[in-house]
Amino acid sequence: MLREHGFDAYVIVGGLNAWKNAGLPLETVPNDDLVLLPTFS
Amino acid sequence: MEHTLHILEHHGYFALMAMVFLEAIGLPIPAAVALVTAGAAAAWKMMGLGYVILWSIVPIVAGDSILYFLGRKSGWGLLGFLCRLSMNPETCILRSAESFYKRGRLTLLFAKFVPGLSAMAAPLSGSMKMRYSQFLRFDAVGTAIYVLSYSLAGFAFSRVLRDIGRLFETVGRTVEWAFALAVLVYVIYRVALYWTHRVYRVVPRAQVEELVQRLNAGEDLIILDVRSHGYYDSSAQRIRGSMRFEPNKFNDAVKSLPKDKLIFLYCT
Repeated sequence: MLREHGFDAYVIVGGLNAWKNAGLPLETVPNDDLVLLPTFS
Repeated sequence: MEHTLHILEHHGYFALMAMVFLEAIGLPIPAAVALVTAGAAAAWKMMGLGYVILWSIVPIVAGDSILYFLGRKSGWGLLGFLCRLSMNPETCILRSAESFYKRGRLTLLFAKFVPGLSAMAAPLSGSMKMRYSQFLRFDAVGTAIYVLSYSLAGFAFSRVLRDIGRLFETVGRTVEWAFALAVLVYVIYRVALYWTHRVYRVVPRAQVEELVQRLNAGEDLIILDVRSHGYYDSSAQRIRGSMRFEPNKFNDAVKSLPKDKLIFLYCT
């Protein structure tokens, strides 16, 4: 769909797991990006 | 029903415990049929009613506790897995969580009578961080209501059990046909979706090494995270420098993307 909209898009083979297995840097998702689902606590 | 009675006759309480436990941990075992049959077996003096009730409640609560702790440990990952077959996984996660939260702990009192909810209630309780002592209380009461309802029904109506069994089998066949039809509709929907988007079957891919080379070369590119359930836990991680892209909000999200940069997408 991105390519249909004219973007030059690619899919990373193996996704996040491949990135992790290669020992590459990760970051914690910032609070602003978190989706806060309800909790009982 | 006859088959269940045969199993209970030969393997007694162990078979009953196994059936209710396996259903409690999410397997498609007809525990309600087992409870009704065990109740009838108690009426026919083949089993003790008190033991039927006790050795049903204990394994069910044990199975629910396992799912509770799995939900607690996995956060929203387990719910994401269960919602994966949904037409819209992210909406499934959001609606399940909100619906369960609105009804609160009382849901556990009747969840076992509701198809679908019976498998989700325990892990949802864990994911939503209900205190275990609270979960145990409500789940035990709900389990007792469930076990007593079916076993006492079997005990009270043991004389007409065979007729009820035939009725269950007829209804069961209807439900099987309805389920088969629903699966067929889902498969047709997925095939239609695939056929519509077949032009994208050959999706350009990039290896992690290639992406790293481009980053090290200083290329100005964008990495997008398109996961549907990776953003619910405070400990969630993503590729450093990536941004979240919500496929459900594609039309809005795409407006902010520049067209002069390479875009790399990733999922789990």
